[in-house]
Amino acid sequence: MIRKIPALAPLAGLAVFLLGWEIAVHLFAIPEFVLPAPSAMAATIWTEAGSLSLALAVTLAEALGGFALGIAAGLVIAMILVSAPPLEKAMLPLLVAINSVPVVAYTPLALIWLGIGSASKVTMVTLAVGFVVLLNMLHGLKKPEQGAIDLMRSFGAGRATIMWKLRLPAAMPSLVVALRVGIVRAMIVAIVTEMLGAYMGIGWIIFQATQQIGFREVWAAIAVSSLASMALYGALVWIDRRLVWWK
Amino acid sequence: MGTSPATSDDGQELPVIELVNVWKRFGAGSPSEVVAVSGVDLKIRPGEFITLIGPSGCGKSTLFNMIGGLEPCDDDGSILMRGRVQQDGELLGKVAFMPQKDLLFPWRTVVDNAILALEVEGVPVRQARERARAMLPDFGLAGFGDHYPHQLSGGMRQRVALMRTFLFERELILLDEPFGALDALTRAMMQRWLLDVWAEHRRTVLFITHDIDEAIFLGDRVVVMSARPGTIKCSETIDLPRPRDASIVTSPEFMAIKRRLLGAVEEESLKSFEAARADARRVGA
Repeated sequence: MIRKIPALAPLAGLAVFLLGWEIAVHLFAIPEFVLPAPSAMAATIWTEAGSLSLALAVTLAEALGGFALGIAAGLVIAMILVSAPPLEKAMLPLLVAINSVPVVAYTPLALIWLGIGSASKVTMVTLAVGFVVLLNMLHGLKKPEQGAIDLMRSFGAGRATIMWKLRLPAAMPSLVVALRVGIVRAMIVAIVTEMLGAYMGIGWIIFQATQQIGFREVWAAIAVSSLASMALYGALVWIDRRLVWWK
Repeated sequence: MGTSPATSDDGQELPVIELVNVWKRFGAGSPSEVVAVSGVDLKIRPGEFITLIGPSGCGKSTLFNMIGGLEPCDDDGSILMRGRVQQDGELLGKVAFMPQKDLLFPWRTVVDNAILALEVEGVPVRQARERARAMLPDFGLAGFGDHYPHQLSGGMRQRVALMRTFLFERELILLDEPFGALDALTRAMMQRWLLDVWAEHRRTVLFITHDIDEAIFLGDRVVVMSARPGTIKCSETIDLPRPRDASIVTSPEFMAIKRRLLGAVEEESLKSFEAARADARRVGA
């Protein structure tokens, strides 16, 4: 049965994990502020469903908006740099330097420049995802061997045609890797930025609940965003199969 | 191509391609200068099937890249197409070029790989696909149009690459050891098949090989290249009757030609072998 339906194995794993957690909390009488039982979290999610789903909608919108912008920016910049090798040589050290600091380190600046509304979150996510896409695509777009490029040239293809018909499709596997890393980063960066300054969203709920010693709410928010991340990742796996359809 | 054949002043049809004193030096002027190709003169007439044979590393591929327009030749020589001198890069898009590797794109089906050049030329995809589908049986690929390259055998992949080359309708086809990676049986089959296709889609062919039997079996003329620096050592017209079948390779005429050419080829192979050994010794010292 488990072998037939691939979704069943991870679900079974999750169920065993939650059951063990539930039993452990009751067995060792773990206080709620240390670790609430899954059943208590579920109850909180149920009672707070309205505010949690609103917060989740805000966070998802920021994460997905930044994700889309980051993909677009990373793709365009990678294509420009690969088409102009001297430019790439000049820019790459700078890009690596910016990227070597965790993106969240720029959060205070983003909040000062763009305020505590959604713009700062979308910008931070764009930055985080953009770098992942850019660095993976710089590698992916250069995958075609010189022979394949020469073949295209012998047909009379110019740079744009070579980019479109050879480099981009050849880079699709790299893009898939970037998207998988990027979607996780998008959720993390959106939530962390919200925790540092916002008036809505999952990160804001976590921050507020911590301030008010509402540990159930903290856990409920974490659980909801984890579920959302898993759903996004699942959707991405489905998209990936269409990006690399030939394998 | 529909234009009337261009003729020279003496009324002869102009060669499709003419190499006049073609040189290629890498790192010119430096002490590590390498002369890859030196003073090559070669005329290829319309409809001719020329096979070029020479030891490995003799500059065949460099010569090939120059005829395909991928690399310019040095200034002291020139490449003419139908009597017109071709400047840097001007030959790109004018010669149907097939490199040693099949270089099929894994994300494209057989048909879509075959129409790559047509797409680059701007032929509407639907129309290009129709043309490719009509050619599938000729290339032994009937029923495989929608397969991906990783689903094909080596021989089939090579035929897709050849089909891609033939669909790029240019007077001159350059084939760089297209059957080099195939096993002997498949290779013999592919040679006979290539002659059939050539007879049907009459084109001018320059075919590089290091297999002397292949060179004689396929060619109207066999051109022997010397060891590096590559230059033309000799050339021999093959007047074996066409169509040729497999048994011809054991005929006395074939043997006689092979005996004459073998001497020249082996002498050059030995030279290139000795040169490689000398290089190795110098590096080792």
